Amino acid sequence: MSCINVMEKERNVIINPLKTCQPFGAMFAVTGINKGFPIVHGSQGCSTFVRYGFARHFREPSEIAVTSLHEDAAVFGGRNNLVKGIENLAVRFKPDLIGVITTCSSEIIGDDVFGFADTARENIKKRMGEDSKKIEVIPINTPSFVETHYKGYDNAIKAVVNHLARKNEPNDKVNIIPGIVNPGDVRELKHLIDMMGLEGIFLTDISDPFDAPLRPSKTTMKPFYPKGGVSVDDIRDSANSLGTVSICKYAGSGAKSLEKEHNVPAAINSPPIGIQNTDQFLRELKKFTGNDIPDKLLDERGILIDSMADNASRYLFGRKVAIYGDPDITTGIARFVGELGMEPTMVCTGVKGPEFAKDMEKIAKETGSNIDVMVGQDLRAVEVYLKENPVDIMIGNSDGRLIALDLGIPLIRVGFPVYDRVGYQRQPILGYNGGLYLMDLITNTILEKYYEPTHWKLQQ
Amino acid sequence: MPYKLLKVDKEIPEREKHVYVKHCSDPEDQIPNCNTKTIPGSMSERGCAFAGVKGVITGAIKDVIHVVHSPIGCTSYGYGTKRYPTSPDLPNGEKFPIDNFNLKYILGTDLQESDVVFGGMKKLRQSIIEAHKEFPEANAIYAYSTCTTGLIGDDMDAVAKELTEELGTKVVAFNAPGFCGPSQSKGHHVGNLTLFNNLVGTKEPIETTPYDVNLIGEYNIDGDLWVIKEYLDEMGINLLSKFTGDCSHDEICWMHRAKLSLVRCQRSATYIADLIEEKYGVPYIKVDFFSTKYCAENLRTIGKYFGLEKEAEKVIEDRMKIVGPELEFYKSKLQGKRVFIFSGGPKSYHLSKPLEDELGMETVAVASQFEHKDGFEKMKSRVNDGTLIMDDPNSLEFEEIIEEYKPDLILAGVKEKYLAIKLGVPCLLIHSYENGPYMGFEGFVNLAKDMYSNIYSPVWDLLEFEDHVEEFGAEGVKIESGTNSEESDGIKEPKNRGEA
Repeated sequence: MSCINVMEKERNVIINPLKTCQPFGAMFAVTGINKGFPIVHGSQGCSTFVRYGFARHFREPSEIAVTSLHEDAAVFGGRNNLVKGIENLAVRFKPDLIGVITTCSSEIIGDDVFGFADTARENIKKRMGEDSKKIEVIPINTPSFVETHYKGYDNAIKAVVNHLARKNEPNDKVNIIPGIVNPGDVRELKHLIDMMGLEGIFLTDISDPFDAPLRPSKTTMKPFYPKGGVSVDDIRDSANSLGTVSICKYAGSGAKSLEKEHNVPAAINSPPIGIQNTDQFLRELKKFTGNDIPDKLLDERGILIDSMADNASRYLFGRKVAIYGDPDITTGIARFVGELGMEPTMVCTGVKGPEFAKDMEKIAKETGSNIDVMVGQDLRAVEVYLKENPVDIMIGNSDGRLIALDLGIPLIRVGFPVYDRVGYQRQPILGYNGGLYLMDLITNTILEKYYEPTHWKLQQ
Repeated sequence: MPYKLLKVDKEIPEREKHVYVKHCSDPEDQIPNCNTKTIPGSMSERGCAFAGVKGVITGAIKDVIHVVHSPIGCTSYGYGTKRYPTSPDLPNGEKFPIDNFNLKYILGTDLQESDVVFGGMKKLRQSIIEAHKEFPEANAIYAYSTCTTGLIGDDMDAVAKELTEELGTKVVAFNAPGFCGPSQSKGHHVGNLTLFNNLVGTKEPIETTPYDVNLIGEYNIDGDLWVIKEYLDEMGINLLSKFTGDCSHDEICWMHRAKLSLVRCQRSATYIADLIEEKYGVPYIKVDFFSTKYCAENLRTIGKYFGLEKEAEKVIEDRMKIVGPELEFYKSKLQGKRVFIFSGGPKSYHLSKPLEDELGMETVAVASQFEHKDGFEKMKSRVNDGTLIMDDPNSLEFEEIIEEYKPDLILAGVKEKYLAIKLGVPCLLIHSYENGPYMGFEGFVNLAKDMYSNIYSPVWDLLEFEDHVEEFGAEGVKIESGTNSEESDGIKEPKNRGEA
């Protein structure tokens, strides 16, 4: 019998969190917009820590402005800071879009960001004239003491879509809400969409902004903006697409809103990690567009299947896996390791969501294993659990590296943040290609750890 | 006019006073305007006061539990952000049972909406009690206020006082919400004051010697402190307390018993040295261990104070024998290279002159995120005429400086590093390090080596596809073609970039 055992956090204190605050998710989302500039309405730390985190993980610059709230703002409100901040950003950087992201402080002092944004728009108009017209200023409410970074991401996508999307001529495109994933993942999604003969509008697209080429500039134009990201015009056009696929279960509001307001049908699913989830993703695309899944993609699928047939039963079958991190990624990986014949014995996420346990129940049935599901938990809980219930391999972010080291369990790094290895943000874990990469990584790690280097078993 | 309005700042003319070009005829007290509020939306590189306390001062202490009283963000971001390793050794000869405890765990109250409405003190109390239960081996519990706690008005001190009695373990509250003060520097101040008021003078050292010192403002980034400790050990000087690299809670409690305090980071920690001198009569000297000359000079000063001159000379001689020839090599390679130093605080003045005197480089600009008046005066006194001195640069200014001053290398933090690289300029981490330690004699060689490998990396010769350059011409960024590689002392050299 397979079943899940849901374990919720029993302490009040949180020890080594597996989640972060709403503004993070909103900053991530706005970064995926071409010439989009996040401005955080809070203290310096609210932007500094996130920029630091992005720089560590992506090894890329990330420009995030802040309104620098100080004592006077705490007492008298942050109106001046926000109005001035938006103005300064607009006239100096001339972005296409400014995402105004609230924080715990600005929410507690009760700043009317919508009103302040209106004032700022007026001021920009006075100062810049015609040039101000193209600058979109979009307030995004992200109180840090409510839910997590996922909610912030969701709120940002919803705010941007609600503000910009306009019904017009049909465009034969599909909208994709990728969730909090890596540049490599978005590129893999683009590849899948391209193979299907489609064009996608990504809400939003961090692939180039967080993995930008270094090429000598041919002009002295300032400031530095990375190439890529979804354009404001494309976001406007998202109201005219054939459908929206959110591969992030926790960020479906934008998709729902497009469905409700503009009759763009929505599909909200787990991310395409592994065989069945990728199949499902392609099925959604087919449903919205009527395009068939091309032979070349079936070949890609076949290569992954071939590799699984070659190796999974020999090296991976029955191996126990502990997975921790963001809810979408962990459910996807749990299903995939199940497909590889491994046992996801513990899956932990810091986010709470009713969907999570349901998904895991389904996976337990499929894999025939008993899964301890830790919901709204932290990394300390993972550590304590693994001391009692050892596994063969851990899959999660770099924050678990010291636990892995102490317990002697190899760690496969996925998710955010990964700061102690290079290149992980560039490799996809989505799609058939991502599956291939992830499977090779897991298999080679198992070979390294559990097979004697001189043993005959390592040879064919 | 000594002040300079950069082109990119024409919309925020108040920045003019923060950007200063040194000129010998200026009055001595003319320096950039500093330690004032940041201009909103200007893309400053500053952090908040909470970052100043936990990220810089207390996070290096190895045997305490850190509880952040905040919504989840501040706790998540407080985890493992700075590279300050610790050894398990405690002053009583025992070993702390959890390796690198300070880097391994961060705790928080994960405040929710209801806590914001009804107050978070109950949750803080429960969290600290649970933290104590989870890690009974810890020698103290430090709790941190954040923007949210500051705004909802939770009385952290009351909870700390109550629980200190209840748990029998010292609980200390640090009241530096993110919004207090113009930068993280305010957090350093609060951290110093809190540790002084709550801990210093509350315990007696296990044993004392006539050569006891406090090493203050040294956080052991990449093992810096261990380098200095070795020199002092060899001289016969005893590190009674460290503030706070590789430090234990108890060491702070008996800082008043030292014979002398040595202040290394003079921005973040002079406060406590002043307080200790004032209350307990322990004098302090400001020290500087970056570069061989400063290091030798300061070891001599310390030696003189304790009558250990010979011992100091021996340490210097032993090290110089090894590092002298190595530095000669790097000097031959770094000669004339232009450098822009953008540090948090004092590193801009610690390094500007040594890079020129000992490695032949040219410091074209120095800047700081949060330095105060005294630090900028020092920066000014150590740079040449024409050098740019900046307070709190923002990223557009950063781009303009690169364009106008054409540095060959930038020393800065991780947020600036990748922007510099995108603009085609190598950038070395100076807040945490690339391959440190950077302090002391050996450290200076590490720094020189990292500067060398960054400037001479072949990548800078490969930025554009050559045919493409020939066909279209490279305007804007000028790409110079490399010369033939040569062999020297067995070190294979990459192509020379931009050799003047």
